[in-house]
Amino acid sequence: MSAPVVVLDGGTSYHNFSLSDPLLGTWFDERIYVEDVSADNLGRAGTIVIPCRLNPDRLKECSGLLTECLNQGKTLIAMGETEPQTWLRGIDFTPVPTNFWWWLEPDGDLGLKIAAPDHGLFDFLTMAEATWHYHGTFRVPSNALSLIDAPDGGSILVDDDATWQGRLLLTSLDPFYHHGSFFMPAATRFLVGFTQWIEAGMPAHQEGRYGQR
Amino acid sequence: MTRPLAYLSPRTGVAAPFSDLAPEGLRLETVPEQTLTDHRPDRFGALLVPMHIDQRRFANATRWISRFFQAGGTLVFNGLLGYPFHRKLKRFEPLVSPRLRQFRVRVDANHPVWRGVDPDDLTFRRGVAGFYGRGCNPPPPSAQIIGTIDQGNCAVDWQWHPREGGRLLMHAGNDLWMYARDKTSAAALTPQLLHWCMAEELAV
Repeated sequence: MSAPVVVLDGGTSYHNFSLSDPLLGTWFDERIYVEDVSADNLGRAGTIVIPCRLNPDRLKECSGLLTECLNQGKTLIAMGETEPQTWLRGIDFTPVPTNFWWWLEPDGDLGLKIAAPDHGLFDFLTMAEATWHYHGTFRVPSNALSLIDAPDGGSILVDDDATWQGRLLLTSLDPFYHHGSFFMPAATRFLVGFTQWIEAGMPAHQEGRYGQR
Repeated sequence: MTRPLAYLSPRTGVAAPFSDLAPEGLRLETVPEQTLTDHRPDRFGALLVPMHIDQRRFANATRWISRFFQAGGTLVFNGLLGYPFHRKLKRFEPLVSPRLRQFRVRVDANHPVWRGVDPDDLTFRRGVAGFYGRGCNPPPPSAQIIGTIDQGNCAVDWQWHPREGGRLLMHAGNDLWMYARDKTSAAALTPQLLHWCMAEELAV
């Protein structure tokens, strides 16, 4: 039996609607309200998912516990607008003005590119399913992997199993917010693929289970 | 002396994004969400609540909110209601598989907050519809409906007077002050909202 996957809940409307949606909520073994985070409940987890836009002020209060999870070999997934650079050491993040309107331009292209096409996540996701907008870029640490590159440098999705004892996934995408606000269908498709990948054990390499998408 | 208006801030040290639009004579205070119940409920004339707050925490402040209404307070609530904070309120209900025409906004132009605002400026931003509302926070039966989508069938904006006193202005969408910097008639919403909150306070 694999270690539990827990998801933190910031108490916002979109966290509530996303995590109470049968489409997504059942993928997680436990939902922990951010006020209730403790060494005990994080200690039971193998993977901790921090949904986008979870209040960074609250995460700063949990900084020690979350760092300890990574030191203990757990997996931490932090999504957009959670400002991990303020509660984890060594994170280099550059916010960018969000281009909400790229798709209105003729031949509009957000410019994102899959950087590691053989990564296991892309058994479950296509580039189109990760394309709506993004809120900044991460510098990719040594020996970590950018899964999706931004057009002006940096990454919007990093898989880092080199810096910590555990594994850290960072993204500047905000799919929980959009799914729980009932708009942006690509964000919903992203979450479905992403949670299926988590359920499959987050393989770093493609297994061909679902075929090349 | 009139009571101040409070902006409930989800982030420490982040003030109201419309503070420069406050009319003369209005005192606007930023209240971090975790400190709300540290204040006396009758201290503020109005409380403006943005969409990114911890609604679970807010809904746990039911007693404080009830006393705020009893003291004649005006509550302006933005966002999809995930955690009802009053027994007469219900969770947000989205339109199911909405079509473009259902996003068209209608508003009661007689309401002081929406006076002079062209509904098309709420329906469309850069020609794109769907930002203003995609469902409703169901209004209590006695609520005054102000703004709708879905050909009038879905109340996005409404005003309600709870039995205990005060007023609730509900907007089931992004923060109304999101339009404050638009170069359209929708920019009038924010200053008119602040005037409306203050006018009631002056009348107390």
